[in-house]
Amino acid sequence: MGDFFGALGDIFTSPTMYGSAVRLGGFLAFAALGELVAEKAGTINISVEGSLLAGAFTGTVAFHLTESTWLGLIAGALGGLIIAWIQANMSHRLTADQFVVGLTANVLVLGLAGFLNGIIDPAARRASIIEIPLLVDIPLFGPALFGETWPTYLLYPLIPLTWWLLYKTRWGLEVRAVGENPQAADVSGIDVNKRRREAIYYGGILAGLGGAFLVLGQVGSFDTGAVGGRGFIAIAAVYFGGWRLGGVLLGSFLFGLADAFRLALPVLGYSLNAQFLAAFPYLLTLVVMYAITKQFRQPAALAQPFVRGLR
Amino acid sequence: MTDLKPRRVMVERFHLTDRGRSGIEMVLLYVLSIGGAILLSGALVAVTGNSWSAVFGALMDGAFLAPGRWGDTLVVAAPMLLVALGMVIGVKAGFFNIGQEGQLLMGAMAMGWVGTRWGGPGPVLLMLGLLLGLVAGGAWSGIAAVMRFRRGVPEVISTLLLVFIALQVGGFAVTTDWLLRDLDANRPSRAVASAALPENIRLPVIRIFGNEFNIGFLIAFVMALVVAFLLVRTVWGFRLRVLGHNPNVAQKTGVAATRMGSAALFLSGGLAGLAGAVMLAGGASGFRVTTGFSQNIGWQGLLVALLARSRPLVAIPMAILFAALRTGSGFLAATGVDRKIVDVVQALLVLALLIPPAIQFIRQRRKALAQAAEEA
Amino acid sequence: MTTNGEELSDGQPVLELRGMTKRFVDVVACDGVDLALRPGEIHGILGENGAGKSTLMRMTIGLVIPDAGSMSIDGEPCTIVDPIDAAKRGIGMVHQHYSLVDDLTVWENVALGEHGAIDRDATRSRVKSISLRYGLDVDPDAYVRDLSAGIRQRVEIIKCLRHQPRIIILDEPTSVLTPGESEYLFEVLGEGVRREGWAVALVSHKLDEVLQASDRITIMRDGKVVERVLTADADAPSLARAMVGRDVALRSESFALGASMEGAVAVTDTAASTDVAPVLEVENGAVRAADGAVLLDGLTVQVRPGEIVGVAGVEGNGQTTLARTLSSLIKLDAGTVRVDGEAIPTGKAGSMHRAGIAVIPADRHHSGCIPEMTVAENLVLSSLDAMSDRGILRREDIAARAGELIEEFDIHTSGCDVPFAQLSGGNQQRAVLARALSINPKVLVAHQPTRGLDVGAIEYIGDRLRAAADSGIGVLLLSTDLGEIAALSDRIVVIYRGRIIGEMDRASLDMERLGLLIGGSTAGEATP
Repeated sequence: MGDFFGALGDIFTSPTMYGSAVRLGGFLAFAALGELVAEKAGTINISVEGSLLAGAFTGTVAFHLTESTWLGLIAGALGGLIIAWIQANMSHRLTADQFVVGLTANVLVLGLAGFLNGIIDPAARRASIIEIPLLVDIPLFGPALFGETWPTYLLYPLIPLTWWLLYKTRWGLEVRAVGENPQAADVSGIDVNKRRREAIYYGGILAGLGGAFLVLGQVGSFDTGAVGGRGFIAIAAVYFGGWRLGGVLLGSFLFGLADAFRLALPVLGYSLNAQFLAAFPYLLTLVVMYAITKQFRQPAALAQPFVRGLR
Repeated sequence: MTDLKPRRVMVERFHLTDRGRSGIEMVLLYVLSIGGAILLSGALVAVTGNSWSAVFGALMDGAFLAPGRWGDTLVVAAPMLLVALGMVIGVKAGFFNIGQEGQLLMGAMAMGWVGTRWGGPGPVLLMLGLLLGLVAGGAWSGIAAVMRFRRGVPEVISTLLLVFIALQVGGFAVTTDWLLRDLDANRPSRAVASAALPENIRLPVIRIFGNEFNIGFLIAFVMALVVAFLLVRTVWGFRLRVLGHNPNVAQKTGVAATRMGSAALFLSGGLAGLAGAVMLAGGASGFRVTTGFSQNIGWQGLLVALLARSRPLVAIPMAILFAALRTGSGFLAATGVDRKIVDVVQALLVLALLIPPAIQFIRQRRKALAQAAEEA
Repeated sequence: MTTNGEELSDGQPVLELRGMTKRFVDVVACDGVDLALRPGEIHGILGENGAGKSTLMRMTIGLVIPDAGSMSIDGEPCTIVDPIDAAKRGIGMVHQHYSLVDDLTVWENVALGEHGAIDRDATRSRVKSISLRYGLDVDPDAYVRDLSAGIRQRVEIIKCLRHQPRIIILDEPTSVLTPGESEYLFEVLGEGVRREGWAVALVSHKLDEVLQASDRITIMRDGKVVERVLTADADAPSLARAMVGRDVALRSESFALGASMEGAVAVTDTAASTDVAPVLEVENGAVRAADGAVLLDGLTVQVRPGEIVGVAGVEGNGQTTLARTLSSLIKLDAGTVRVDGEAIPTGKAGSMHRAGIAVIPADRHHSGCIPEMTVAENLVLSSLDAMSDRGILRREDIAARAGELIEEFDIHTSGCDVPFAQLSGGNQQRAVLARALSINPKVLVAHQPTRGLDVGAIEYIGDRLRAAADSGIGVLLLSTDLGEIAALSDRIVVIYRGRIIGEMDRASLDMERLGLLIGGSTAGEATP
């Protein structure tokens, strides 16, 4: 444990650390931004995990076929959307339990990706790095934020876009109303379950994009274990952020930092128990959730199904 | 303030809906959706250039027809059924514990620890191992219970996160001398596995008709009966269901959510832990705890519970069905189809079976709507 | 009296409904209903709960799609697909419940239910101008969760007026208002009708209200129109007969119909004498919500055996908190609850139940019943220990006990093993009452026990409460319906903002003073 604390000092001054924190946090942020919208509308969308993996896989396959990162990213978004479509329509059209559907969708994606990966065996490659002049020279965070592979930069416009959608558009107002008081939204003439489905679609697209970004912007190859529960951490980031955009981003970064910490230690020459390091992000997520969950008011109808006339 | 909002767990609302008069229509709906799932799976096989009838034949051979196979299927069905029963208890109490994959591993580790590190007469150690397996699995889901009842952390997320931690704890244990690592320095793979359970601490094996299976399935079968009895016939089960349906009514009539809910979550994880212990003592991974010991049995057991829509007795045939798909998949290599197709089939089946009751539910709601519209 | 609406007509109707029919599988909620709304007129639509009024109105604004029937506006046939469409055609509805989102601001709520881009400044100034014009003072930037029931209804009305409707539907608008607030509401409405020629449909089950406010009355029963009259020609007894479908003794059933007949309050001498020790005492009960809002503020109330204490007040003044405290659902921050002089721990599972307090909650689905479980299971919920041997349920005893209760309380059900959800609202409430009384309680707390029930069920529940008191149970009746309170209570206390601000006994009952008190006006009161 002495090692551990000795390492902390080095690590928190290491640019490598922040670089990987932003990369891993960025991956989480794609999913968490989408999940935020889905939860604002009242769904705890655990199929975000499946959307991430589906996006990673379809993105890889599209790249394999076309050698185009752009098409890979678009295919990733579509892959995520397909899972979201299943989740949304099963739970908010057919009124099946949202957790049952989400869990099953995750198992489905895991099986499909494993099955098809063995057959297609797609190859991928990391996209090229584009450095943004001047900004990249900011100490510590500069290289991490502005000296990355170009798909990373897709995240930046998504942040204001999500904010604008949620707080400045009628659609966002209706999404928030639907998550707070579906009965009221219903009598105001809003199709509650349609808004909920749309919010899940948005979440699926972003998660799919995040999955494709993981392969094409970071790792450079596909593996069925690549997502490994990060979708659930993204959900935790939404809780951490108290259903506020800034908080959700902070949560993504924090959990990304935990992931980065795990990767950075060995690089810096510290040896620490490998299993502890691998468990660290999940452990931190649990501890943080325990500490903060009661602090915030969640959308009042979160995880409550809406059927007209059923209270 | 302890005012709770009931989250209607809709997993089991078939109680309300299956009694509809349109029986034939329901059967038709079920046939259509299951047929759809099978068709989709078949299409997947066909698209990859294989014969689905060959796949079906291989599955049947692997699961039941080839010599000794149905015994293997029962061996696999046992832990799945136990996991499913744990899920049922959770759902009935209104909690969605879906971290069985990790709880199962904790149970197997407890069994392994007792079996390889404790001394004593075999049968006693076996019993102790099973019991401790239950406690270990329950303790692991107990963490989620504490988080839920002290801080309101949704168990859906905490139990999932705990899976990933459990996997690392397992990895740590089998690589650590003072925990589970095989102390026999001569064995080449000792880095990733515990020592094998001694012969006298293994589950007794039954041999009939050229098949052999351990008594794990009998344990699971009896547990299914016990759970069914507990839920339907006892005051405890009644109160558990009250809590699951409406926590406010429960609190009002003297069922404290914290106590009853913790008990339910503990038992829910405990049965998964018992599943792990049964798997280990039944010979999984050569009686050794390994890093990947749980082999998705936890996830598949969950699907079994969903498929059985939380009816403990229905879970028995469903567990056998899923176990059959799993053991059958062992024979798929000859057909050139990856055995992962079975995971897809399982998930599609669960999704398909969600559809008919949902449609029925929507119809019944429409009927109730007249009243609701007037009272609103 | 005539049943032909056309004979009464004097203006061209702005909205006409013809043959409106809606079936829900095998229930006919509306059966060929004709209705015409005329500008400059308030049209009362009177009927019991379940008569089809709400379904008719929901069809009018597109919340329910009719099976048959046609609509025309200004003589032009049209179909309305949703409330936004209705708003565009000039139809607006003020809902009874559930139409405002707590976590949004006033202007955001007003902006819901429109199409197109949202324009914050335009919406806010529009809210302000409507406020000014109709005297509906409200801050557009306030969060709805911080507003009182009366102000919320102003927001509802502004939300409706935002679209400049010519046709306004009000669904039970006064159920959450004080008499003063109701009066003001009808003033505002009357203004609009006179000045701007609104056509108003006033949906209500309260006879008096409709008689006082409307120009014309349509009465519905079992999905059909049974009578149309001009208000000037109407009298209460005949309206009541039309509503219920039989002769009604207004003396005993007046409160069920929302009519305050002279001398309707029958004075009985069952009131317990004041020297008997109270069976229930709540002393200085105080509760704050998680967000700091004061729910109970030093509330003190006593109930003696054999008396009915009516707690009058406008919804949202602490009644729910009090009822939930007495259901062991809420822990008091300060103060004590005593039964027979013994302090009972609050917020501890089942403590109130064990002490002998039975509660009929206002919202059955919140803490009253379990719709997914069977009728029998619901009936024996509170007495499992008597129905079991060493933890094993005795199923025959359960079935027998359930059978007894079903018979005693005349619960209409096709069996005791059918899901509770299949019972009608009135039978569900009878079952909840049956369970509450089956444990032989010392105290019975009834919170809005008759809301949403038909006249027969209302009478029945009232009789039962009276009988419970006569058998020596202390009854605490929490209601927003002053008629109900006046008809049933031996003693009346008034709850306002989480405290009791006034008390009167039956002999000195003064409805006018009661009305002022529930609005919080203690002018000239010697505060107890």
